[in-house]
Amino acid sequence: MFVNDIRKEFYDKVVHERVLVLVAFDVDALCACKILQYLFQCDHVQYTIVPITGRQELETAFLEHSEQVKYVVMINCGGNINILETLQPAEHVIFFIADSHRPVDLVNVYNDDQVKLLMPTTDDFDIPAYDDLFKDDESDDDSGNESDSSAPSGKRRRLDEEVLERRRERRLWEEKRKQILLDYEEFSTYGTSSAMIMFDLAWKMSKDSNDLLWWGIVGLTDQYINNRVERGKYMTDVGDLHKHTLRLNHRNEDDDNTVSVDCIRIYFDEELKLALYRHWSLFESLKHSSYPACKFKMWTVKGQQKMHEFLADMGLPLVQVKQKFTSMDMGLKESFKGLFTASCEKYGLDDISFGSFIAQYGYKNKLCAADVVYAVNGLMECVEAEKSPTGYFLEALDCLSRQNVKKLLRGLDLAKRQLTTIMQTVHSFIDMKQIISAGPFLYAYIPEGHPDAKFFSRPNCLGMLAYFMQEAYVATSRSRRSTLLPMVVAAPLNAETGSALVIGIPPKAEESTKNFFGRAFEQAAIQTNSRTLHDNFDTSIIEMKSEDRSKFFDALISLLS
Amino acid sequence: MYGEKAVELIRQLHRSPDGSLPPFNEDGIRQVLEEMRVLFEQNQADVNKTVDGAPGLFPGVQLRHAALERNKRCLLAYMCNRMERLRTMRWEFGSVLPPDIKYNLSEQEIQWFSRYNKSLATYMRSIGGPSGGGLDLTQDLKPPKSLYIEVRCLMDHGEFETEDGTILLLKKDSQHFLQRSQCEHLIRQGVLEHIL
Amino acid sequence: MDDLDIEEASDEEVEQMTAAEALAMVEKAWLNEKFSPELLPHKQDLVDVMLDQLNDMEKNISRAKKGDLKVSIHKMEIDRIRYVLASFLRIRLEKIEKFVHHLLEEEAQLGEDVPSRMSPEELQHAKNFAANMETLFNDVVLRHMPRNLKKLEGSKVAVGPYQDSYVFLQVQEQVDQVMVDTAGDQGDEAIDLEKGSQHIMRYRVVAPLITNDAVTLI
Repeated sequence: MFVNDIRKEFYDKVVHERVLVLVAFDVDALCACKILQYLFQCDHVQYTIVPITGRQELETAFLEHSEQVKYVVMINCGGNINILETLQPAEHVIFFIADSHRPVDLVNVYNDDQVKLLMPTTDDFDIPAYDDLFKDDESDDDSGNESDSSAPSGKRRRLDEEVLERRRERRLWEEKRKQILLDYEEFSTYGTSSAMIMFDLAWKMSKDSNDLLWWGIVGLTDQYINNRVERGKYMTDVGDLHKHTLRLNHRNEDDDNTVSVDCIRIYFDEELKLALYRHWSLFESLKHSSYPACKFKMWTVKGQQKMHEFLADMGLPLVQVKQKFTSMDMGLKESFKGLFTASCEKYGLDDISFGSFIAQYGYKNKLCAADVVYAVNGLMECVEAEKSPTGYFLEALDCLSRQNVKKLLRGLDLAKRQLTTIMQTVHSFIDMKQIISAGPFLYAYIPEGHPDAKFFSRPNCLGMLAYFMQEAYVATSRSRRSTLLPMVVAAPLNAETGSALVIGIPPKAEESTKNFFGRAFEQAAIQTNSRTLHDNFDTSIIEMKSEDRSKFFDALISLLS
Repeated sequence: MYGEKAVELIRQLHRSPDGSLPPFNEDGIRQVLEEMRVLFEQNQADVNKTVDGAPGLFPGVQLRHAALERNKRCLLAYMCNRMERLRTMRWEFGSVLPPDIKYNLSEQEIQWFSRYNKSLATYMRSIGGPSGGGLDLTQDLKPPKSLYIEVRCLMDHGEFETEDGTILLLKKDSQHFLQRSQCEHLIRQGVLEHIL
Repeated sequence: MDDLDIEEASDEEVEQMTAAEALAMVEKAWLNEKFSPELLPHKQDLVDVMLDQLNDMEKNISRAKKGDLKVSIHKMEIDRIRYVLASFLRIRLEKIEKFVHHLLEEEAQLGEDVPSRMSPEELQHAKNFAANMETLFNDVVLRHMPRNLKKLEGSKVAVGPYQDSYVFLQVQEQVDQVMVDTAGDQGDEAIDLEKGSQHIMRYRVVAPLITNDAVTLI
């Protein structure tokens, strides 16, 4: 069931108890976790945090930690799974779920005792009515017949008709139910950021602060960067956060009451779609951000010339542009944004900016939300063998704290590597025409033995690659149909077990996060008996044996044609 | 040069960093003791000769005696210093020594350790009088900053029960928030890491 | 702390005092012991009382309602008191073990009614420690040594506290005419210690004043 008052029905219930917190591997979940940790620490709520990558780990973690745990909080996981059936918990265990994955499992929605959903009821869930889904088992037709054996025949004939009528109704109801379920579960999509839900909780408890607000902002920005939120909703959410920002940061306007430089200050700003430009050189940033790179077609010689022209037009000497942004001339840096936006309009890059936020603390540290998302993700999905994935998860959790700026900087470097790898892969694929139009969708796969394959064994990075590739293909393709095509990308996951990671993303033209691949993958797998693992909380990402790839994709093509 | 081996023993110990114990140099000790035996016998012989009337042997006797005293002092210093380091380790590691340290100890040092343990335990138990219940002095080594702390589990340690009965599973890379007093010793052992 | 006043003293022989008073005394003893180079006279009665109160406090909060803010505060207080007590006894133990021969020697020469510096349990531990040390040395080296060097002469190995180290002190009660010998030829000088003033001087001079609480070390 959905909770109406998140404070009373969730926080107040767990504040004197021990809580198990299960967190999924995405930046939004990490931010939500940080906020919740802060709140729990204020009130001395004992908790245990366990990072989990997918359903199997969810089951394992729950089993292992379920000794004496009565309250489980799940962040960005568990919403779209039938929790009670999967985990078989004891009767007294209560689950609190803040999950942005949609559609929410219907058993979770209609269970009143053990499952409490923290997502705001104002999100549109399109939940089918209870009566369409669940029917109390009525005494069935047969018993009616027996008890009436002594009745006169006239009455009996009427009863028979009633029984037939009831059976027909039931059959109709079941068919309708099947259709409703099909419609409901056809597309997977996303809802409100969990970090924002937690921030909202903090606000309702009057415990909100700039630090928590910043985490909320980063969580929402993560959704934006990874195409997990539609533009309209993003603007609305940004508006909400903007209100909070103004409320918590208005003291700066008063000269007498200036806040200490070390305090964190947040303000709203129009941000450019230039990934990490403040921590890189402008040139690199343009190359590695999918929007400008694809608009200019940076993988062609002509495209690069056009880009140079564009920069020259702005009045930015090439030498300046190619050095680190922080070392650019002061004058250029300050006027940069204005010149850039003006030039972009001229060259047709209409969508170059989006509303976002910047945080500043101390003299050195000025970060925009998008940069933090890239950095945290870079750290979380680091592929170096030094630590295990959960080890990196905890590193990423650490780097969100203000005192761990060094870790954040390391994250920025790792993010740059991720972006560089993505760009290089996209370039080579476009050059070698390795993105295939397989009829109803576009398809690309990273071959085993590809030098950078390990980067793409991580779901978020694979996602970024998929979107970049799709955009690049659309930019190069002459066919207008290309914007209507969804895309599937496969990358090797584990050379030893011969498994691959596969992701499906919706067509570019739709500008919506609705994704039918969850269902489609399931069906293709069943039809071809492929060995697949639908483990990720995001149903559009699956693992499978590389050997089964061709028959799987053939089935997928025929399914979607 | 007399006494050199003894000084070498000390130098070796001095070189090793403060918190550690190098292997017990049984050989070195034996050599010094051997030197002492030789010196003593030479002295005995000289004293006898002097008693019998030989002159001029006294400075030699004095020299050897000084060397003997020096050797004794060096040996005792070596033993004492090792003992002090071992004592520090009791306070750092607890009553069970890690095997790699135990490997470097002599048999007698291990026995010393166990006797020290016993005496310390008896003393700690007696604190507060017969009704006091004792006080574990090896806990609370630092002034408490907060009641609850956040810790990260660095290795699999299995289940762990706190005073009020709650059971935690200490699995690698899980993070927990609990009472400081419950997990202090695990932090010292290196199982948990305190996250600030 | 007043909330948890202990109504009856747990021990007839000990003067009745509130928890706050006891804590103040323990803290004073702790600081004095920390900054003094030598082992000060033991405070076993005080420790006993404090530990009793600690146990009572713990019992009280285990009865209290879970989640009450007072519980956290009292738990914190308990932790702090336990730290002070443990630190106090640890410092003493360290000094006892360091000066073991010196202290045992002093103990042996004490008169009948003169109170010992160490509590009976501390004394026992000191004796154990000295014996333990001697056994270790004997077994490894001493018994292999030539006849005349076999013994461990306590007086030769004893380490005594450095009485001339400088300490900071605060005067609690006015003391007149304290003999301080200054460096150089000026000889001894008598000075008056005003209440509330702070000084730095050699430990040796103020040692007797610590025991009667005229000054405290800081």
